[in-house]
Amino acid sequence: MTAPALPLIEKPAMRVIDLKLWYGSSLALDSISLDLPERRITAFIGPSGCGKSTLLRCLNRMNDLVDGVRTEGSVLFGGRSIFDPEVDVNALRKRIGMVFQKSNPFPKTVYENVAYGPRIHGVRAKGELDGIVERGLRAAALWDEVKDRLHESALQLSGGQQQRLCIARALAVEPEVLLLDEPCSALDPVATAKIEELLLELREHYTIAIVTHNMQQAARVSDYTAFLYLGRLIEFGETRELFVKPREQQTQDYITGRFG
Amino acid sequence: MAAGTAPRRADASGAARLPDTARRRIATERLASVAIRAGGLAVILAITGIFAFLVVEILPVLLPARVALAHDAALAGVVPRALLLDEYRTHDAALGRDGVVRVVRLEDGAVRAEQALADDFVAVAGDAEHSVLAGVARDGRIAAAPVAFTASFEEQRRVVTPSIGAPIELALFDDAAAAPAVAGPLAVRAGGDAQAGAAALAGGGVALVQRRSERNAFTGETTESLERRVLATPAPVTALALDPKQEQLYAGTADGRLLRFDLRAGVAEPESVDAGGAAISALSLLIGGRTLVVGQADGALSSWFTVPQENGPARLTRTRDYPSYPGAVRAIAPSQRDRAFLVAADDGTLGFQYSTSGRTLWRGDSPLGPATALALAPKGDGGAIAAEGRLASLDVRASHPELSLGSLFGKVWYEGAPRPEYVWQSSSGDDAFEPKLSLVPLVVGTLKGTFYALLLAVPLGVLGAMYTSQFMHARLQRWVKPGVEIMAALPSVVLGFLAALWLAPRVERLFSAFLAMGVAIPVAAIAGGWLWSRLPKRWVARVPDGTEVLWIGVAIAAAMALCVSLSAPLERALFGGSFPAWLETSTGLPFDQRNAVVVGIAMGFAVIPIIFAISEDAFSNVPADLSAGSLALGANRWQTVVRVVLPTASPGIFSAIMVGFGRAVGETMIVLMATGNTPILDWSPFNGFRTLSANIAVEIPEAPHGGTLYRTLFLAALLLFAMTFAVNTAAELVRHRLRRRYGRL
Repeated sequence: MTAPALPLIEKPAMRVIDLKLWYGSSLALDSISLDLPERRITAFIGPSGCGKSTLLRCLNRMNDLVDGVRTEGSVLFGGRSIFDPEVDVNALRKRIGMVFQKSNPFPKTVYENVAYGPRIHGVRAKGELDGIVERGLRAAALWDEVKDRLHESALQLSGGQQQRLCIARALAVEPEVLLLDEPCSALDPVATAKIEELLLELREHYTIAIVTHNMQQAARVSDYTAFLYLGRLIEFGETRELFVKPREQQTQDYITGRFG
Repeated sequence: MAAGTAPRRADASGAARLPDTARRRIATERLASVAIRAGGLAVILAITGIFAFLVVEILPVLLPARVALAHDAALAGVVPRALLLDEYRTHDAALGRDGVVRVVRLEDGAVRAEQALADDFVAVAGDAEHSVLAGVARDGRIAAAPVAFTASFEEQRRVVTPSIGAPIELALFDDAAAAPAVAGPLAVRAGGDAQAGAAALAGGGVALVQRRSERNAFTGETTESLERRVLATPAPVTALALDPKQEQLYAGTADGRLLRFDLRAGVAEPESVDAGGAAISALSLLIGGRTLVVGQADGALSSWFTVPQENGPARLTRTRDYPSYPGAVRAIAPSQRDRAFLVAADDGTLGFQYSTSGRTLWRGDSPLGPATALALAPKGDGGAIAAEGRLASLDVRASHPELSLGSLFGKVWYEGAPRPEYVWQSSSGDDAFEPKLSLVPLVVGTLKGTFYALLLAVPLGVLGAMYTSQFMHARLQRWVKPGVEIMAALPSVVLGFLAALWLAPRVERLFSAFLAMGVAIPVAAIAGGWLWSRLPKRWVARVPDGTEVLWIGVAIAAAMALCVSLSAPLERALFGGSFPAWLETSTGLPFDQRNAVVVGIAMGFAVIPIIFAISEDAFSNVPADLSAGSLALGANRWQTVVRVVLPTASPGIFSAIMVGFGRAVGETMIVLMATGNTPILDWSPFNGFRTLSANIAVEIPEAPHGGTLYRTLFLAALLLFAMTFAVNTAAELVRHRLRRRYGRL
């Protein structure tokens, strides 16, 4: 079975072309091709172990950190393959931010968490940092909740706040693409709703890819959805279309809850 | 009823029929919890037990001294002015101005021996060292009676039989008839081959007689020499003392001056020092004959000895003052075992003092009122005191009088030293030796060894752990970590042996190379890494990841080789060929082959595996999603490690350093073998030192059980225990605070 044709008409921010990935000798991603449209939210869904997180982590080369990973194919970003050996992976990751499944604020203050990225990229001036921190926190809809405790430990925030802090931290380096790996899986419904609301706002400025386990969430927030199963891209298309009348039987079975 | 009981039975049988696995699980869980609790309690008990044992061994030091009346006997009509006691404290020998020596059994007051030496003495004196009582008559004739106490056993009971030997006669003047009047006081030393007597003259001055007999070892002939002198004094003499070698005569005057006559120099001017106004009322030399205890009419009591001067001859110097007595000091009785002495004052106060520690061990009322004579028993465990018509024996007990906070931790002015200082020198071949038990040089030595060891081990251990856990390739990591941990299993005796016999001579020979390596190795490592990063990516891609370690290893080895080969020309150019010689001549610092640098390297190697293993764990335990979060922001590996991983791992690294500190403080074998064990107080890296732990190991085999040295060594052990305990507790507190701050682990 080959990947379906790309149905997209919008301008892609990133293009995944015939991507294969092996963990050691086992094939984890099999010939994936899809586009992430600019300033749209693309959701990756699929049962556990289908490769959706692996695919996401390919997009900013976080898989480099895993021992024994080998890739084939390419991911184009700004017209260039990100796997090119001449690519500065740190500069790449600055442009493609990531938020993880488990919120991982640094054991520092709220302020220092957000200022961390700009600092390592060379911003030193206090005034400039203050502005970046405030903008990041506002963009992550966290400013009002933490503006009086900027210099307290980030670990004292609630789980939902910590995850939004991680989003603020990612936004502070002004990325073009934001990758979210099941950002709400550890959160309660209220916190989840806030993040989802936030994502819809962020769509105005960022290209977003989100891995989610929660099909309702994909349906609620995403513009496009990719359904992966056993390392293969089964179906990719506009979210409403994919959920209302999927083309593939497997997609149909998954979204109606016959397996998962 | 049936309906009511049925479910109950079902419950009961349900509980009884728990599945086997569940029951086993519960049993295992209980067993585990009991075992863990027992283990924890056993550890706490063991540590408490060690602590309690140390405290129990040290406790006797704190026992108060005691002087109490043992026996009391009447001696009607006699005023004893000189006393002797036997070793078993059964008899007192007493001599008064009536010229009769009486030996009294203390149990019942019976006079066991009696001998008249003269009709009338103007002054009497005792020589406890030779067990002699002596008196001088007005015409200068001295008669000294040796008193012997023989112990024999009859039916398992010890019987002491006193006897008075033939009197030794000495005359201060040739012609007794024409002699000037003698007034006293008197000082006598009556050994077998040398006797001396000195007495003050009524008209001023001191008359001295010395008789020596020398036996020629080849011919067997004995030659006798007799010398008489009259020494002029600036004021009437009120107290006299002769040293045991009969080389120094000390005199105290009515106007409060101390005179020292050097008898070896013929008749010369005495050294004269002002003791401060009041007349000298009693003089006595402590064991060894170097410390002079001076009592004065105003109750002042002080210790004096000759102190070497930088230019000119040694001077008699007041080195210690004791609390004053309410009345004039009448008698001073030194111990023949240590530097303790009994003091009696005119108002009836009795005191027990110790010279080295300056302690007043005991002070109270004399059981007989104002004393006329005083003596300490040969073993120092008893005393005798006399008053008009009465004689009493005393029980004297002092546990470890030479120990005080001041003598253990403060500067002490030891006999013959130019100034007060911190010294550890616990024993010597001589009985009259003054033990010097300052723990300060040992504590400083311990800290010095620890400092130099940590200077090497902390950077190497922590940075090595950082590299291994954060940068090294996983395949290599699997070898390196256990490899370093195996280093911890290296017996410290092997390290000590290598340090002392292999490393120390090389460090001495190649000292400048070792100095240069301190700079060259880090520089080579950094330069090697930089070169590696500049290599074309194509080349780097061809070798497996992690190979850069080998490359850097080669760079370091090359740097070391360069240092060694440049060492000789370098030393020639900078240090005139030999660093140790240059150091000694140009800075005056001595260079020991076994020095702190060698110990630092050897002990550093013992400590590195501990610091490495614990900090490696701390680094590895930093959650991977933290560094992933940092990397995802575009930070490079180095920024991630320094700004995120290191602060988060800091509590663990801190405890690694503290555990390493504890290991270095307690380490014994390496310092024992490689330091030279010289207990000197000096931070120089070119010198040896002695640590508390090595000191315990060196000296405990020679410390008599229950003795002062034994207790002091246990005190050192307690100090060591307290040091590590305090450091570990402080470390734990700091670690908790850090952990709260960098929570998450």
